Order: sequence, then C-alpha cells, then structure tokens
Amino acid sequence: MKKSIQYLTLLLCLTASCTGIPDGAVSDATPSIYPDFTDITVPSNIASPNFMIEDDADKYITLLKSGDTQVRISGRKVCIPLRKWRRLTSSGNISITVYEKKDNGWIKMKPFNMDVASEIDSYVTYRLIPPSFQTYDRLSINQRDITNFKEKVIYANSMAAANASDQCINCHSFYNWRTDRMQFHIRQYNGGTFYYMDGKLSKLNLKTDSTISAAVYPSWHPTHDYIAYSNNMTFQNIHTNHTDRMEAFDEESDLVLYDIRNNAVSIIENENDEFECHPNWTPDGKTLFYVSAHVDDPDWFYSIGGASRRNDLLKYNLYSKSFNPEDKTWGKTVLYYDAAAADSSLTWPRVSPDGTKLLACLSSHGVFPPYQSEADLVMFDLKKGTWRYLDEVNSDLAESYHSWSSSGHWIVFSTRREDGTYTRLYLSYLKDDGCFTKPFPIPQKDPEFSRKFMYSYNVPEFTIEPIKVSARVISSFVNSTDAAPVSFEQKRGE
Amino acid sequence: MNQKEENKIPVLISKTRWILPIAVWAILSFCTPQFLQKVEERSFFEFDLFWFCGFLDKPSGILSWCSLFFTQFLYIPWLGALVWVLLLTLSAELTRIVFRMPSQISFCTYIPAAIFIAYNMSMGYMIYLMNHPGFFFLPVLGYLWALLTVIALRKAEKPVTSIVFTVIWGFAGYYVAGFYGLAGIAAAAIDKAVSKNKYRGRMLSLAVAAAVVILAPILFLGTTTYYLSTAWTIGIPDHVHSVSLERLQLPIIIAFLFFLLAPLSGMLEKMASKSIVYIQCTALTAAIAIPAISWYRDSNFKTELKMIQAAENLEWENIPALLNRLSTEKENDSSWQPTRVMVVLKDLALIKTGQEGNRAFDFEDGDKDQKRRWDVQMSMQIGWIMGFHYGIPGLCQRWCYEESMLFGWSNTTLKYNAMTSILFGNTELANKYLNKLGHTLFYNKWAKKQRPLCNDRNLIEKTAPYDQILPLMCYDDLISSDQEGCEIFLKRHFNGPSPQNSTPLYDRVSLLFAIKSKDPTLFWTRFFLYLDSNNPEKIDRYYQEAAYLYSNLENNGLLEALPFDDQVKKLYDSFKATSSKIGPKSMNEARNLFPANLRHTFFYYYYYVNNLNVF
Repeated sequence: MKKSIQYLTLLLCLTASCTGIPDGAVSDATPSIYPDFTDITVPSNIASPNFMIEDDADKYITLLKSGDTQVRISGRKVCIPLRKWRRLTSSGNISITVYEKKDNGWIKMKPFNMDVASEIDSYVTYRLIPPSFQTYDRLSINQRDITNFKEKVIYANSMAAANASDQCINCHSFYNWRTDRMQFHIRQYNGGTFYYMDGKLSKLNLKTDSTISAAVYPSWHPTHDYIAYSNNMTFQNIHTNHTDRMEAFDEESDLVLYDIRNNAVSIIENENDEFECHPNWTPDGKTLFYVSAHVDDPDWFYSIGGASRRNDLLKYNLYSKSFNPEDKTWGKTVLYYDAAAADSSLTWPRVSPDGTKLLACLSSHGVFPPYQSEADLVMFDLKKGTWRYLDEVNSDLAESYHSWSSSGHWIVFSTRREDGTYTRLYLSYLKDDGCFTKPFPIPQKDPEFSRKFMYSYNVPEFTIEPIKVSARVISSFVNSTDAAPVSFEQKRGE
Repeated sequence: MNQKEENKIPVLISKTRWILPIAVWAILSFCTPQFLQKVEERSFFEFDLFWFCGFLDKPSGILSWCSLFFTQFLYIPWLGALVWVLLLTLSAELTRIVFRMPSQISFCTYIPAAIFIAYNMSMGYMIYLMNHPGFFFLPVLGYLWALLTVIALRKAEKPVTSIVFTVIWGFAGYYVAGFYGLAGIAAAAIDKAVSKNKYRGRMLSLAVAAAVVILAPILFLGTTTYYLSTAWTIGIPDHVHSVSLERLQLPIIIAFLFFLLAPLSGMLEKMASKSIVYIQCTALTAAIAIPAISWYRDSNFKTELKMIQAAENLEWENIPALLNRLSTEKENDSSWQPTRVMVVLKDLALIKTGQEGNRAFDFEDGDKDQKRRWDVQMSMQIGWIMGFHYGIPGLCQRWCYEESMLFGWSNTTLKYNAMTSILFGNTELANKYLNKLGHTLFYNKWAKKQRPLCNDRNLIEKTAPYDQILPLMCYDDLISSDQEGCEIFLKRHFNGPSPQNSTPLYDRVSLLFAIKSKDPTLFWTRFFLYLDSNNPEKIDRYYQEAAYLYSNLENNGLLEALPFDDQVKKLYDSFKATSSKIGPKSMNEARNLFPANLRHTFFYYYYYVNNLNVF
C-alpha cells in the first residue's frame, strides 16, 4: 500500500512536469517582476537572475527560451537552477514568457528579454553595514562570487578582540583587479592600514607628523609600487527633517603618495584653501585625477560654524595632475572640469581600464554622494573632453560609488533606488556606442533578498580572482600586530 | 528527633517546592510587567525563513532564535512570565529526574533556576545595554539543551557508539547551543564517569568529552566571524560594554557548575540524614535568597518604564499621573528627585494633552542619577520617542538606526522607522519595516493598520499620532548634531529661529522650551508668537507667572497691559515674602523650605531650580 502511494505520487509529479504550456488570452503587458530583470543585458557568466512575479494570480508558469534550450518553472518565485541557466546563457539571448492563471483562465504575458553579453569579473568585494550614524558594530568586508551565490567574509569587526563598536573597517582596494595585493583600513581598536602583498601581511600607520590623518581613499598605481591616498578629517551630522538622513563632510583633506618600496609618504596636494580628495590613476600611471573643493577664506569658513553648516558651499571640481612614476616627480595641476561653476560637486572619478572614459558622481554639494538623493553618475569622454549624465543608468535616488570591470565592459555601482536608504549594487553593460544598458541588481538566490536584507553595500570593487587569505588569518594578524610607522619624504617636482 | 523524623523534614520541604514557581510567576506578572514588556519591545521575532537563516552563521545562533521565539510572549507579560517559569521549573525537575536525585535534596536543582532569575531580574538599566538576541530565555534554554545532551548520550552505552555519538552530538550541540552544548557534553561525561562503567570506559568518556570541548570551538572558528576568546563562552548573554563582560557571564557559569555537580548527587545518598536536612534547607534558602537579594529595585526605573510604556501606547494622560504618584510616595524622602527621562517625558505628555501652560511646573524637577552599573544615555532610552513626537524625524531615525546597529532590530525601532518613513512618504522603506512586523505574532495587526497610511497624506493628517507630529515639522531642514544629548538637542531646536510657516502647536512647544530656558528675551518673542497664533481665551497660568515675573524684573510696562489673574499676583507676593525670608539656597535645601504651592510656580523654578544636568 505504502509503495503504491509512492509510485502514484511519482507518477503525478512526472505528469505534472510534462504538462504543456497553457493556452489562453494574450496580454500586451509585461509581467511585473521583482527585481526588475526585464529587458536587461546580462554577462554570460552571471548567477541566475532569480525573480518573483508581483502580479496577483492563482498560478504562474515561466518559460525561459534560448535557441533550442527551454526551461519551464512553476510558481511565483522563479528560481532558475544554475546548471539550466548556464545552458540558457550559452545558447544566446534569452526570451522569458510568464503565464498567469487568474479567474478567467491562463493569460500569456508579453515576453521580455535578457540579452547575453561578454563575461564579467567573477568577484565583487564590498563592505556590509546596517544603516547607521555613528555606531558600527556589525561591519564586514565580504566577497561575492557573482557567477553563483557564494559569499565569504574577508574580515568582520566582530573578530576583533574588543567589542565590535571599537573597530571600524573600510576602503578595501585591490591592485589591478587581482588579489595578490590588497589593502583595507582599520580605525580605532588595533588601527592601521592592512596590506596583503604577494603572500605577506603587514599593518602600517600612514599618519605622520606632516600629514593631517591616516590614509583614507586609496588608488593603487597601475604600474609602480605606489598608492595615492587622500587624508581626510571627516565628520557627519544628521538632517532634522529630510529624507536624506545625514551629511558626511570633510573639515580638511589632502592627497598623499605612499611609496611601498621605501615605506614613505609624501604630499601630493595640501593647499590650505583646497579640500583635495578621491585620487584615481589613469591606466598608464602618468596622470592622477582627483577632486578638490576651493574655500576662499578658510578662516571665515570655520568661523561660521564649521563645515557642517557650510557643507552646501563645498563644490568639488575635477583636476588632473601629471606624474612621472620613474622618478616620482609631479607636474602641474590642471582643472579638468569646473563643477562649482555649474553649482554642483563632482566626486569619485574612476578612469576606465582603457583610459578613454571617466565615470564620476555629480551632486549638488559635498564629497559624500551616497547621502544625497540627487547624486547621479556622469561619464566623461577623455578623448573628446565631453561629459554627460548617464540617464540610462541613473534613478531619482542616489547613485554613488562605482567601479569598472577589468575589461571595461561592465560597471558595478551603488544605488539607493529601491528605498532611499539601503544601498544596493547594480550592474550595467557598456555598449560599443558608449551607452550603458538598463542596470539590474546583482542576482540573489532568494528574489526577495533585497527587500528583506537589512544591510547596505559599500564600495563595490571587482576582482578577477578570489581573495587568497582567510578571514581568520587576517583577523589574527590585524588583532595581534601593531601598526608599523612610515617615514615622510618631500614631494618632488612641480 | 529520631532519624526517621529527620528524614521526613527534607521530604516535607521538598513537597513545598511548587510554591516557588507560582510565587515567582505572580511577582513577575504583577510587580514587573513593564520590565518584561521592555525585554520584549527590545527584541524581535518573525516567522520567516530568511530571517532564521541569519542565525545560522555562528554557534548558538539556533538557540538564540529559539530564545527570541519565547521572548515574544512577554508581549503579554503574564503569559511570557508563565512560559519562562515553566521552563525554569522544567529545568529543575528534569535535573532531579535525569540525575535521579533524591527528593530530600530537590531544592538543589532549583539553584541554577534561581541564578537565572537573579541574572535577569537584577538587570535594571542593563537591559538597555544587552545586545545578545534572546538573552532573557537563553540561559534556561541552554540549560535544557545541556540536560537533553545528558539524556541523549546515555542512550549510547557501548564504548564505540558512545564515542561516535559524543563526537557527533558534541559538535552539533556546540553549533546549536554554543557554551551550553559544551556544558552538556561535560556533564554527560561526568555522568558516565560516575556510573557503574568500567574504569577504562569512564576515562575514555572523559577524554573524548574533553577533546570535544576543546576542539569544537577551535574547528568552528574557521567558518565563523567571532573572536577566539569568546569561542568557549559563546551563547552566554553579553552586552555592549564587553570589557566588563566577564562579570556578567559569571552567574551563568556558576549556574552551570551546579549543573556539572548534579551527576555526583548520588554520593549524597551515603550522607548522614542531618547533613541532608542541612543541604535541603540551605538549598531552599539559596533558591529564595539569590533572586530576592539581587532583584533590581528602583522606583525611578520602574516609573520610567511605565512612562515610556505609556508614551509608546500614546497614553499621554497617564504620564504626568505616574510622576505625581511617585512624587507623593516619595514625599518624605528628601533625597528623591525624578530622573531627566521622567522630566522630559512628562513635558512631552503635557504638550500632547495641551496642559503644558498650566501644569509644566506642577511637578518636582530633578536630574537624579540612574541607579546603574554602566552609563545609559537618555537617547538610548527614549531618543526615538523624543525625535518622533517632537517632529524631528531625523533624530528619531538616528536613534532607531544606532539602536539596531548596537542591539539588532527590535519591535520598537522597526515601528518608529516605519512611522518616520510614512511621515516622509517613503512607501518602499515603510513597507520594508512593516513587512517585518507583519511576520510577527503580536505586531502584525499594528503593521496592517499602518499600511493604508503609506502614501496617503490626507489620511496621515487625520490619524494619530501623525496628526500631532506634522504640525511640528513646519521648520526648514537643518543639518545638526545631537552629540551633546537628546534634551540639549531639543532645546537648541525649539529655541532656534522661529520657522516662517510656524504652526500654533509649534509655537506652544517653543514657548514651553523658552520658559524653561529662563531667558526673558526668548520668552517674550515666543510669548507673543504664541498669543498671536493660538489666540487663547485665557493665558495659561505658568505663562502668566513668567510674564508677571519678567515684567516686574524689567519694569517694562506690561504689568498693566496684560490680564494677570489675581491668583498669580498673590502667589508672586507670597513667593517673594518666603524667598526673602529664606534667602539664596541650593535646590535641595529650598525644596524642603518652600510649601508645595510655592514650589510649583515658575517663580520657584526661576530662582531655585538650577544647575540641573541635562542629557
């Protein structure tokens, strides 16, 4: 009897899976799905873009077709098995049709497409942090393999010996999309800058008597053993009555160069009336882009209540500065884009791997666009000297930190488009015509992940390989080693 | 007394042991319901697989999840207390049964339960610092897991099966219950060692258990993200001041030392009956004395909890009444003062009920220190309440997010974050929080009620509490900081420039803050704004008193122009007469020298309520 029931159940299951695609009315509306993966371009090696159908219906069938490959999934949550997804992407562009069963029978919704483009770097490293103001008890730097759903912790402040609230971690960065050289900062408890270089671990204190702070925003020199950093005195305050919850601002900032071989820091820019920030090298390593806000009268600026009150006056312009990596000499500074003249502020310049484009953030003021809902991505054509808003990528809410993939075909960027508070990571493909395709979130195993996840993503950075050192090794090193000092040397050239 | 009678005494005492849980339940339910509710409000449990998976990333996460499941029942304090007491009783009775302890020493098994009660009920302000999910139920559930381990490992009698089972259960148990899993393995090994097994078997049990206890935390370290030194104690509740953690963990460790001794109880059978009587009596005394002595008693803390509860439930009328009741109780205690939390909540409640002008100085003022071991900022107690109800959503969000970062999401912070998102018209964000609350047992109805408000401005304007908050949001956004403290921030906010589109409610609140600042210039500005926008039929008593005092001091000609009540003039004369007799005095001295009717005037506040610490 028991066996008969088992056979019957098996038979029913097999029959059910053989059921054909239902006939019924045809709708000219595309189904409402979450996340919005309709008509996007995906990398051929991305994890399956699982989604949930938002339309109300009794039953759902989703048919994914690519060439001769066809995958049929029942239910509201469309979770595509990874192996089947691989078969689909390898067959070319994918057409997706959703069938919804309502009171009056099955309705075939208007199909939508997913075009398949070139591969993307497999790994994205980011910091996870719940939205907060001053506390940071639950921080971790994680690496996600975006070709599947595996994620691992690189380091979490819960691994510190003292309470997590005593240790902040930030600004992870990699050398040329590889992981044999990486760094991130640790603030307060056991503070210093952590380096993993060619199998060796070290921790340095990059604050010297001649610099205003420890190192902050990094940019690895692409050909030589240098890292450009900004030094920042950063503060943050709250908005009393605004959907943008807070403002982060610098009360002082400079640029420095860390020479890895000589273990020495030198000044790049430290003008009193300029707040320099966000350095980024061109791929040949001969030019450094950075942003800087000019303050006419620093004394006046501080006399009226400090930067918190006058942050709206800080407008960052884009500058470039030539550099000879062989002898570490600097050339003249050139104003590349006068954002202040357009009453706006340009931040986070990132030059594309081929050196022809520069992606940046444009907002009304200040240096911290994630907190400004109007912040948008803009792209400069470095050959033509033109720029444009990336309307095809931007939303009504904040777009901020962004990174190029090693091929320069893909970008990952942070955005608060979903709810204005929780930062999510979106991908977009740069077509040959210089336009980006519709952005989409990094796929998750559970389509509802983003709605349920109570952490924000910061500083997404692509790498082509996984990080080679384990969290436990980093933790024991970070928490048992004092930060070694660096020397200070004079700037050369100019 | 012969030996037979002597033997009867401990048995008789043992029969009374059922009284203990009933008494504890009654005390918890009727004397400390606010504390239990506070535990529940600061926790969160939702029926959601995604959320559950978040607990799987470290040992003892599953036990924390179970603890949170039980914690939600504290929403109805008597029910939650009943569940807790039943679990405690089960832990004690099961210990007796599992270790076949004679009923003559039955109260010994109640000592760990007594320690758990003492641990939770001695917390007081510490409750605001506990950042371990499900800390309230965690020790007792851990204890039950440890007992289950002993029971399970007894089933494996053959040496090989026993070793395999110990290893598997040990590692699994550590993952499920952390410290408690290890304690269970240790107790099971002791249990086997004292059983009638052969010497080799005993030694083997102990060696395998020791290996599991040492190795399990080390092996799990590779897969998790916590600090090495906490690996063996993971699962014991902790708090944000981890430097002092060891002290906090000690009671739980002591309770488990008793547990580890339980397998040795068979040795007591050979003891003289007199000693048994002595042990039973001592255990009974300990079971009662441990919680009784350590129970946190502080009438200010208790009243604060009640006042906060009333504010959460928008029962504004109750808040001044609670403060009044306590003042009356403490009438003869010259050292008594309210805490700042009580004072600011009282002011907020008076504003919400429109009584601030007639009752603001009707209460004792003060800045009594919290009776606590670690500092608890006012913002961590009521930051979001103040921010939300004073129409400063940024402040409310700040403290909701800081709280969630430090202690994890709680029902309270989710509620307030949902409400501020609704105020801002951010439907997606409001839904994020409402969805979470919608999956709970006790807040789903509240969440359901809020959903129609998302994106419906008209409905928000007509619905409490939003109807009283929107008029306070008439000011231009400011970038500001509350690092100095919540009360100072509010003062600065309302004493700042008056908004161009000021509302009558905003003017009322500003006037209260102005009068409390003792700044005549600010008072007059706010006073005339208040008269202009509120157009009161009769000026409230305390505003008359302030105007009368300042007019007298400034001789500005307003004495004749403003309609002062005779009562105000008489009180002023009477105050002046008393004051000239008493002379300058400190706040505490003056309190005992002035009669109540003069103490509860603005004149008294102006001259004698000084140097208060505001936070």
